[in-house]
Amino acid sequence: MGLSLSALAERKTLWPWLLLAPLTIYLALFFLVPLVEVALMSVTEPRPGLANYEKVLTGSLYRKVFLNTFGTALLVTLCCLLVGYPLAYLMSTVSKRAAMGILLLITMSFWTSFLVRTYAWMVLLGNNGPVVWLMQTLGIAEPPPLLFTRFSSTLAMVHILAPYMIMNIYTVMQKIDPSLIRSAESMGAYGKSLFRHIYLPLTAPGIANGSVLVFVICLGFYVTPVLLGSPREQMAAGLIGNQIEQFLAFGLGSAMSIVLLVVTLVILGIYHRRFGLDKLYG
Amino acid sequence: MNTLMRWIGIAVVIFIAAPLVIVVPMSFSTAASLQFPPPGYSWGYYQQFFSDPSWLRPAWNSIYIATMNTLLTMALVVPATFALVRHKFWGKSFANLMMMMPMAVPHIVMAVGYYSYFGELKLVHSKLGVILAHTCLSVPITFLVLSANLKGFDLTLERAARSLGATPGQVFRHITLPILKPGLAISALFAFIQSFDETVVAIFISGRDAETLPRKMFDSIREEADPVIAVISTLLFAVVFAGLIAPSLIKGLRRMAKGTPSK
Amino acid sequence: MSAYLRLAGVNKTFGSFTALGHIDLEVEKGEFVTFLGPSGSGKTTTLMVIAGFEQATKGEITVADQSLAHLAPQERNIGIVFQNYALFPHKTAAENVYFPLQMRKVGKKEGMRKAEEMLELVGLAGFAHRLPKELSGGQQQRVALARALVFEPDLLLLDEPLGALDKNLREQMQIEIKRIQKRLGVTTIFVTHDQTEAMSMSDRIVVFSNGAIEQAAAPLDIYHRPATRFVADFIGESNLLEATITDAASGKAQSPVLGEVTCGAEGLPPLTDGQAVTLLIRPEHLKLSREPKEGRQNAQMVIETIVNYGDNAVVIGHAGDQQIRVRVPGADVVILKEGDSCHFSWTADAVFVLDK
Repeated sequence: MGLSLSALAERKTLWPWLLLAPLTIYLALFFLVPLVEVALMSVTEPRPGLANYEKVLTGSLYRKVFLNTFGTALLVTLCCLLVGYPLAYLMSTVSKRAAMGILLLITMSFWTSFLVRTYAWMVLLGNNGPVVWLMQTLGIAEPPPLLFTRFSSTLAMVHILAPYMIMNIYTVMQKIDPSLIRSAESMGAYGKSLFRHIYLPLTAPGIANGSVLVFVICLGFYVTPVLLGSPREQMAAGLIGNQIEQFLAFGLGSAMSIVLLVVTLVILGIYHRRFGLDKLYG
Repeated sequence: MNTLMRWIGIAVVIFIAAPLVIVVPMSFSTAASLQFPPPGYSWGYYQQFFSDPSWLRPAWNSIYIATMNTLLTMALVVPATFALVRHKFWGKSFANLMMMMPMAVPHIVMAVGYYSYFGELKLVHSKLGVILAHTCLSVPITFLVLSANLKGFDLTLERAARSLGATPGQVFRHITLPILKPGLAISALFAFIQSFDETVVAIFISGRDAETLPRKMFDSIREEADPVIAVISTLLFAVVFAGLIAPSLIKGLRRMAKGTPSK
Repeated sequence: MSAYLRLAGVNKTFGSFTALGHIDLEVEKGEFVTFLGPSGSGKTTTLMVIAGFEQATKGEITVADQSLAHLAPQERNIGIVFQNYALFPHKTAAENVYFPLQMRKVGKKEGMRKAEEMLELVGLAGFAHRLPKELSGGQQQRVALARALVFEPDLLLLDEPLGALDKNLREQMQIEIKRIQKRLGVTTIFVTHDQTEAMSMSDRIVVFSNGAIEQAAAPLDIYHRPATRFVADFIGESNLLEATITDAASGKAQSPVLGEVTCGAEGLPPLTDGQAVTLLIRPEHLKLSREPKEGRQNAQMVIETIVNYGDNAVVIGHAGDQQIRVRVPGADVVILKEGDSCHFSWTADAVFVLDK
């Protein structure tokens, strides 16, 4: 491995193929084949034909679920942006020490299993939880149900996905040359106009990165909506899980999976065309 | 504008911190259900966790699966990353895309695929099945971390070593490998965590025999909201906390050992 | 003495791009030779071909009459100091220096002792156990030098090793490298694009341009008797003037700017009447005066700019369309004013003739 790499680097050689072969074969066997299987099941189960897609694309239940999925993903992305942008801004303006502290908090949140974070929201919003307790202490006798609603699942997803948004925006904000802001101020830009003409365009790549990432992850989110969301307002991934686990409707589940996959890939594909996928997760 | 942004920022800090902090007191609660503030504090649920095989088995399964996943992922990804970072060849950008693909597919879609495919291969309800599936999902993040490290590697170091009399094999052993060690360790850690935290695929294929910790937690939260989960959450959180704090602690200790005061 | 290092017809092409045309060069044992040229001129490529990191497309390289053709870089016994020093970041200074000995199966105890001796020679006694990142740029440079010398290489190659250092440190290191090279007597090739560095350090300078050798000669020969117009222009400051030979026998030429010029510098190429040539006069060989000077050849110019360096100054003026640069002692500048018209003068042995 790695033999005389520099000397070989630019020459025609079998080395890169040999080095790549094991992984390529592995991914073909254990990544591609299962995906193809999903595609096959969607047109063969329970009988050959496009009936599953007809149902998924026209049935009112499925349309509602897909619309709900899109709506939630959009809402979560927007909330992440509203939550993430000010925090990233705060981090780039406070002292280095404070910024490090916030960064540590966000990293910690990011690395904490999202099951743990989902559970934490369950505790926070539960009937005997601190939020209800606080509301009662403040004199609200009968607080509205918080858990197992669209509100609770959205809130938890925002919490879980916000670190992606914050890190993406913070990374670009950090790279903004402070002298650029000073020179803009010297030319008479301040407050809103400084923000609109200088800060916003400069941080746009971070916003785009973070938004695409959050939106795409949210589209396929399974755990949090299933655990915290309202059973009446399912998202696509949850319904797919139901089809497979409860109804053994492999054909329908697969067709929904393929639709979800195609939508995700189209969004990422457009993004890849413009910016390159590797930057998204970098 | 600025002050408004600042206040929102501070509110967001609280929003992010609150759920991380709340599970800790809950894990010491004496209440049978989720109750805040806890009526009293004890080690009860910790004892329960550490003596209950239905919790310990999934924990060990997860550690075993994540470890095997890490070894397999590294064995596949390290050579591939060398090929992609250091060589120019036909089809390179396609190969790059291939490495990233598992990240682009929603896990629920993969779960459906594995459920059926591994069913045919008799790999559902087996640790091997979960390891094989998790390895695919660990490839992109491991590749990203490692390739960033490898791109930063100064190739003149290898040239210098060659000029000083080292054969290519010696260069790899004495120079390339030791310098890349931290990068390799970090990418391995990412692979481990990716597997240890993975929930969706595990829910569908791990079954009772290869049940992972996230699967057990998921089931438990869905069915009964067992307060033991608070214990596991606290423990997992403590590991993350220690992992993030440890580097600066070690740095500080080293400085103390060297006798130079830290600033 | 026969040549120690010999490059014969070395040619290197990347696809249709010719990096090295046809390099012939002989270097004697113990010689300090500098490869000088602008970036992309082929000097570093030549070095890499000698080191074995690039393969020559054609031609042969021998050291002590042994061909290097089939030797891998690690088999060539050539010490190299790289531009960024390429110190191994995970090894201490002493371990870095010990590395080539380790590769040559020298025991740890013996090897580390030798490494520390070498570090002492380069003036780094007491820094043996520091990591590269704990050393300053100049100290890293010395470690790199010690590492390249400790295994008694047949050749020492230095690839722009001083580029990253500031001016004072650079001058100090120039002297240091020269001292160590002399003491060890190692045959050395030094690559740089800095001509003062080349002038001050080398036994011989090889000037590269566009993948070919323009001239290989002692520093003062390069300065006073450049072989080509490129060398004359690249080395030092110069006034280059078009002229036509009118009388080859007595060295007379007619220049549109200077009028009739007598050329007298040594080492003139064979000339024929009517030949178009370029005349080179160094700025320090010109004198300025209000009136034409007796016993010297004179011409007139209008002063445009005066650039002061303290102990001396460069006066830039125009004679017709031709820019003329004159270096004068600092004290003389006070009587000159921009816009003044004055005479500049030279003697026959200051005029060097180049093929056009």
